[in-house]
Amino acid sequence: MNKSFVIAKREYRAAVRTKAFLISLLLLPVFMGGGLIVLTLFKDKIDLSDKKVVVLDYSGLMGEHIIKTAENWNKNNIYDDKKEQISPLYFIEIVHPDTVNPLQQKLDLSNRIRNKEIHAFLQIGVDVVHPHFGEEQSRIFYFAENSAVDNVREWLSNVINNKIREMRVVEFGVDPKKINDLFYWVGTESMGLLKVDSKTGKVIDAKEVNETQAILIPYFLIFLMFMMLMMSAVPLLSSVMEEKSERVAEVLLGSVTPWQFMMGKIIGGLGVSLTTSTIYVLGAVITLRKMGMSDVIPYDVLPWFFAYMLLNIIMVGSIMAALGASCNDSKDAQAIQFPAMLPIILPLFFMMPVIMDPLGKLATGLSLFPLWTPMIMLLRQSTSVTIPIWQPIVGLIGVVLFTFFCVWAGARIFRSAIIFQGKRPKIGTLIRYIIKG
Amino acid sequence: MNVIELNHITKSFGKNVAVNDLSLDVPEGSIYGFIGPNGSGKTTTIRMIMNIFYPDSGIIKVFNGEQAGNLLDRVGYLPEERGLYKKMKVKELISFYGELKHVSNPSREADYWLEKFDLSNWAKKKVETLSKGMSQKVQFIITIINKPEIIILDEPFSGLDPVNAEIIKEVILDLRAKGSTIVFSTHDMSVAEKMCDFISMIYKGKKVLDGTLESIQKQFGQDTIRIQMEGGVSMLNGIAGIEKINDFGQIQELRMIPGTDSQQILSDIISKTRVTKFEIASPSLNDIFIRIARPEKNGGYE
Repeated sequence: MNKSFVIAKREYRAAVRTKAFLISLLLLPVFMGGGLIVLTLFKDKIDLSDKKVVVLDYSGLMGEHIIKTAENWNKNNIYDDKKEQISPLYFIEIVHPDTVNPLQQKLDLSNRIRNKEIHAFLQIGVDVVHPHFGEEQSRIFYFAENSAVDNVREWLSNVINNKIREMRVVEFGVDPKKINDLFYWVGTESMGLLKVDSKTGKVIDAKEVNETQAILIPYFLIFLMFMMLMMSAVPLLSSVMEEKSERVAEVLLGSVTPWQFMMGKIIGGLGVSLTTSTIYVLGAVITLRKMGMSDVIPYDVLPWFFAYMLLNIIMVGSIMAALGASCNDSKDAQAIQFPAMLPIILPLFFMMPVIMDPLGKLATGLSLFPLWTPMIMLLRQSTSVTIPIWQPIVGLIGVVLFTFFCVWAGARIFRSAIIFQGKRPKIGTLIRYIIKG
Repeated sequence: MNVIELNHITKSFGKNVAVNDLSLDVPEGSIYGFIGPNGSGKTTTIRMIMNIFYPDSGIIKVFNGEQAGNLLDRVGYLPEERGLYKKMKVKELISFYGELKHVSNPSREADYWLEKFDLSNWAKKKVETLSKGMSQKVQFIITIINKPEIIILDEPFSGLDPVNAEIIKEVILDLRAKGSTIVFSTHDMSVAEKMCDFISMIYKGKKVLDGTLESIQKQFGQDTIRIQMEGGVSMLNGIAGIEKINDFGQIQELRMIPGTDSQQILSDIISKTRVTKFEIASPSLNDIFIRIARPEKNGGYE
């Protein structure tokens, strides 16, 4: 067996046989999808306690309407079909505004909120139906402990604005009976593209694409690739440093060449990544199929995912191994780790702009930069947009060439630095290692 | 036939010249000793033979051809610094290196060597549980598991107790008897004297001695007197013609000033005390080593 593979086998076993590997295998999905899972689980778990709101209606036009709307709400919207409560009850108290000492009145109401007697209070300006821009009397103020993120504020805002629009429309002489029709909002549904079934030749109708699906699939694939890099390529830095400082490297070099040594470590890490990612991808595919969502699985993108991941790990792994060889101890490794990881982390910052406009100049440009191609190009490919076929091909060629360069340069640094002790070489020295070997 | 040839090798690290225009030949089937003080360039030379370092200039040939780095399966290398994967089990580790060196049945070989070095009970233990001496034996096994044609050992006996040093010495001699060429560096001159067919001394990066022990000693002539007498070293006070006295307690080693008559020295000592042993000899390797490595401190007692 090739010596690199013997080393890779040892590296793979050393990594996979540990408890840490099993724990990370289980914890990774939690880190990856933890936020989303929590969001999904708790999105309906809203606060169902009664909400009492005091209204200071300077206009004198809204108070009664809000009370009636709240009563209707409490009758019709509190329970679902299974008689389970899904929304809080709203109780409105109209308080006459104190025009002599309004601040004291609002302070008293604020203290009532602090004492949990009421949930919030609302101040409606006198000119709210026909506002003058910027004036306080043309505005609506909602006072609560957490007013910025409060569903009651949104509910009240809708109630009041619907009433304002009704009043304005009536003033224009429109029949009040037609108001519902007037304000009926027709949404635009997001659909994918129609395609032809390659087996039957029949046209397959487009399917609805929701926002979560459009973002979730690219997010999953990119984050998975990022985690694989973090699991297998980045640790090469400290792993090589340890083998150097513990003198294992020189013993190994009695049996293998520096090239075989470095490639063995990279291939070992690659094996760990392939195992882990295959488990996750298979798990995701099986789960989605069982949920009847097989149409959202991007089968056409999966081969690209594995190809890019493989190249990315070799590319980043050789850089990390070379840098690890230049370190003498853990302090050196810590100092160099973050700057070394920065190029891997940066593509994550561009995820949303790329998902929002996969065909834009930014997305196209970034995806053709070889160090970022694996993540950004994959991100573009995994959206529902069809990108020109030449771009992934050019990107892949670029990545292959850049990977060869990284392995070549990394091996030269690795070879030159793996035995040297003493001060960590500066960038100039590393470049000299690359040039002179 | 020489299995290793170094021709005018020079290697510098920054401004420090570690090895300076070094040439030497290691004959096939010999035991070749590298001696020299710390920092003299022995390890750098060995690393260049192993192709771990590239020489700045000069040519290194192993097996009359390529460098050892390309012939790793035919060369065993024990570095000066010991380093093993601490979390691996002992047998697993030896088998791993056996597999790396293309040993046909690494597991069986591991069992054989573990038995030979009395480490069978430790086969399933992790390396981190081994003592320093045991770790060294394991590393030695790793070096020779494929019965290499050339075995390069950097300080193989350092840190070993006499029993383990004897075991390793026996294995080295056995491997030599089976045709391997042994190259080792050492600080222990008595080991070099007893074991080496050829000795090369490197000092400040340059070769200062090279040849058989006999030929090296010949270079220094018979300028040494080993003497045993009543009253010990104090009886030598005032005796003319002595350049240096090396006092071992029971016996004293005297280096004569060139041109001095040894019989005159003997006569002067007999006039003061009773001499029980008097031998005119070539200087020991240890003495030669010290003469070269500490020339500024020659003279007086040691």
